[in-house]
Amino acid sequence: MAATTFETGTPVGVRRLLGRALPYVVLVVSISPIVLGYAWLVIATFSYRTEGLFPIDAEGNIGGWTLRNWEFLTDPAIWRVTLNSFVLAVGMVVGVGFVSSMAAYSLSRMNFSGRKGFLSLTLILHAFPSVTLLIAIFFVLNFLSKIPGIGSGFGYNTVGGVALVMISLDLPLGIWLMKGFFDNLSWDMERAALIDGASRFRVWWEIIIPLIKPGLAALAIFNFLSGWSAFLIPFTFTVGTRVANLPVYMRQLISDTAPTNWNMIAAVGMFQLIPVLIFFVFTQEMLLSVYAGGAKGGT
Amino acid sequence: MKVELENLTKRWGNVVGADSMNLDIQDAEFAAFLGPSGCGKTTTLLMVAGIYKPTEGHIRFDGQVVNQVAPKDRHIGMVFQSYALYPHMSVFQNISYPLKLKKVPKDEMQKRAQRVADMMGIGHLMERKPAQLSGGQQQRVALGRALVKEPQLLLFDEPLSNLDARLRLSMRGEIKRLQMELGITSIYVTHDQVEAMTMADRVAVMKDGKLQTYASPDELYDRPSTLFIGGFVGNPPMNLLKVEVSRENGDFHARREGLDLVVPPDRGEKAAGKGKVILGIRPEDLTLAERGTGGEIYVVEPLGRDDLINVRIGEASVHVLADPALGLRIGQSVRLEFNTRKVQFFDPATEQSLLWA
Amino acid sequence: MAEAVMGREVARRPPSRWVQLKATLGAWGFMSPAAVLVLVFFFLPVIILFVISLTDLSSSNFSDPLTFVALDNYLRLFRDRFFPKILGNTLFYVALTLSCFNVGMALVLALLTTHISRRVGFFFRLIWLLPRITPSVIYILMWRRIAHQPPFGLINQLLGPFGVEPQYWLFEHPWLFVIMVNGFVGASFGLILFSSAIEAIPKDLITAAKVDGASTWQIIRDITLPQIRWPLLFVTTYQTLSLLTSFEYILLLTEGGPGLYTTEVWALTAYKRALKTYFGHNQWGYGAAWGFVLVIIGIAMSIIYLRVFRFGELVQEPKIDVL
Repeated sequence: MAATTFETGTPVGVRRLLGRALPYVVLVVSISPIVLGYAWLVIATFSYRTEGLFPIDAEGNIGGWTLRNWEFLTDPAIWRVTLNSFVLAVGMVVGVGFVSSMAAYSLSRMNFSGRKGFLSLTLILHAFPSVTLLIAIFFVLNFLSKIPGIGSGFGYNTVGGVALVMISLDLPLGIWLMKGFFDNLSWDMERAALIDGASRFRVWWEIIIPLIKPGLAALAIFNFLSGWSAFLIPFTFTVGTRVANLPVYMRQLISDTAPTNWNMIAAVGMFQLIPVLIFFVFTQEMLLSVYAGGAKGGT
Repeated sequence: MKVELENLTKRWGNVVGADSMNLDIQDAEFAAFLGPSGCGKTTTLLMVAGIYKPTEGHIRFDGQVVNQVAPKDRHIGMVFQSYALYPHMSVFQNISYPLKLKKVPKDEMQKRAQRVADMMGIGHLMERKPAQLSGGQQQRVALGRALVKEPQLLLFDEPLSNLDARLRLSMRGEIKRLQMELGITSIYVTHDQVEAMTMADRVAVMKDGKLQTYASPDELYDRPSTLFIGGFVGNPPMNLLKVEVSRENGDFHARREGLDLVVPPDRGEKAAGKGKVILGIRPEDLTLAERGTGGEIYVVEPLGRDDLINVRIGEASVHVLADPALGLRIGQSVRLEFNTRKVQFFDPATEQSLLWA
Repeated sequence: MAEAVMGREVARRPPSRWVQLKATLGAWGFMSPAAVLVLVFFFLPVIILFVISLTDLSSSNFSDPLTFVALDNYLRLFRDRFFPKILGNTLFYVALTLSCFNVGMALVLALLTTHISRRVGFFFRLIWLLPRITPSVIYILMWRRIAHQPPFGLINQLLGPFGVEPQYWLFEHPWLFVIMVNGFVGASFGLILFSSAIEAIPKDLITAAKVDGASTWQIIRDITLPQIRWPLLFVTTYQTLSLLTSFEYILLLTEGGPGLYTTEVWALTAYKRALKTYFGHNQWGYGAAWGFVLVIIGIAMSIIYLRVFRFGELVQEPKIDVL
């Protein structure tokens, strides 16, 4: 693609240099809002207030660093919502991982009636915008609330209910992704295990699952992040801080406190970003592949 | 264990994997399924293993229909082309996995796995993972895993085709020796006719899902019952020429442009008066001589021990094995002597042998 | 002999129904958790949504028996005073975000990041992934601060020295930011897909074109773009649907404002009417009617994708018959 390096005519110094530099200039300009946004967040977290990117102290001069914004960590409510966020994220990891790898295994590797139908259904649901169903899901959750035993754990305004909705809405993607991994596994290995005397369940658990650990890990990271960052579904189906998660709690801070304490909110945001950034730094390749993987599934 | 296939058929929609296979394998016999890729030999093997369900027909083990018996209850061991070892398990875990599933007590499991591993010469590698083993060692682990549960039937799916040539040669001998010692009925699928011919008691030649013949290696070689077998078995392959056989003055002549052979009456008789037939003769049954059929050398391919010479006779061409010391050149004129006692005749329409049908 | 006879008798029985049934049941055992959840959270909601859209259910008559009003909600929807405004907003939002960012920007960035060295290109793609993985609330917080009023806003501070009038950007130009906020998240999807498609183009093709004297622009037009036409079509259609139905970022950024319905889109209207009304009066029936229109579009478009992209062909037959 580097056609400029192939130009056969007499090299025009300035034009060539511009040709080389142009992509970088465009790319750097393109990411500037992202970089600025993050830069402000970090600066704001540690200052009394900010004007643009500058921290401003009480006298209106540049400066005035502080840890005051982090005092929210002493509020028990934050730990409550952090726990809720964590439970939601782990629930997503376990729930989607378990359910979708079981379903994907049978769709990819088993011959049974109904297979083709469910597979096309998964494909359709995978493209289907599930947010359009939130209104109706509200009623499903309300109904679940009325069932004794289930209601208190998985009904409306419970962390379990939110987790259940999020797991379900993520399933088509999870199944499709896992199916891609299963499709690439050796049939001979599975045949060998069957001849060795394993049942299909044992084949799945002892032979297949250990082999698709990379796929499960990718799915787990994806689900942890979407569970941890979830806003819309918890916001829609919960009331109050008892069951709120971090994003919902933050939203409440933004709209409740007047005037908005931007710097404290920035610190809460920074606190919430920690696991996200850890994954961002350490599992880059996996993230890039899994966020595109939703399109075609697998590998 | 005696294995019988009766009218065994596997279809996926319109695709035919195996078509009405009928075959008896005796107890302790070593049978080979030989054929080009896609001929249905592996499909048939997987039906015997219970992995595929037959569309029609029956499989019998010692007279009992086993169509509905699960693979694990068939008392079989299987070795795969890809070895199919479990990569996350050690050699010991791989070999003992069938015993673990049978809930064999731990110390007995240990003992039996070790015994099999020692027999295979991999007893010292028990703690390794498959990825740390060479191809030959992996193959032995796979064999050990198949043998450890003391199966009554061993199935091999091209087990040697991923090994290099020298290892293949030695493993060939070892598998054969093991099978004879243990006396386990075995089915060996391969596309390599040398493997099939050297190892098997009987060879089932398959083509397009159909069984061509089931016979001993000698019989396959000397008395091919179809044109396909004649062409497929033997290396370099049999020369095939269209001729017309006629009886003149008590002799049988096989003729085409540039060729006139007198063939033995017992063979010539069966081909005479049938119009154009296909004459088959193996390269090793042709010799360069002072007299005989004249031809011109078209290609010379040195094979090491011999040169493989392609000789043009009229519009036809035949392969001949010749001594490299002769220093034959392209374009040289030569004469060929045919060992006519070994000629084969096939019907061009039905592709059946006219001699052994 | 006795054995052979026995074998034959077993053989005459038709292929055991029980074995067949057991296989199907076993497979559905693996399937059942997913099947139940899909049933409860996809199938049922579609039906519920439709039924509710035919009623006048709202928070004021929640405990009363359902009153069916036939298609009244749908008629009301089309007669709504703001219907033309909302429809126009939706089309404007989808068209502009899609063309400028989700496809346009994604394509430009994909071409640029594959043009430069692999590692640097990877780095830029990774940075572009940040908006997508940043929790939406924090992401919007950043943008609100970027477009904030003087003296807080970042834009004012950066553009001030160039003589640009300081202003409350988000208030003055809400659409600009609605599109940018969504576009910066949306572009990464196309970017990743396009750049892996571009990297998969055989190098020989491009070398051959260079030897033939093609310029960079000609190579892009004649080789790269035709080679990635399927990913292009896929991203375009897929993102059209997700933009049409997504409203989370708009909800967080402007809530459809400032003012009356300035940046309100269809999906947000449905959501607000049914679930988050300012005065706590949730018109479930009416909101469901707005929502169900989107569900119908969603189902139709997903089925079209399935056909156009022949995802069905990725489905392979299982190579083990037994269970």
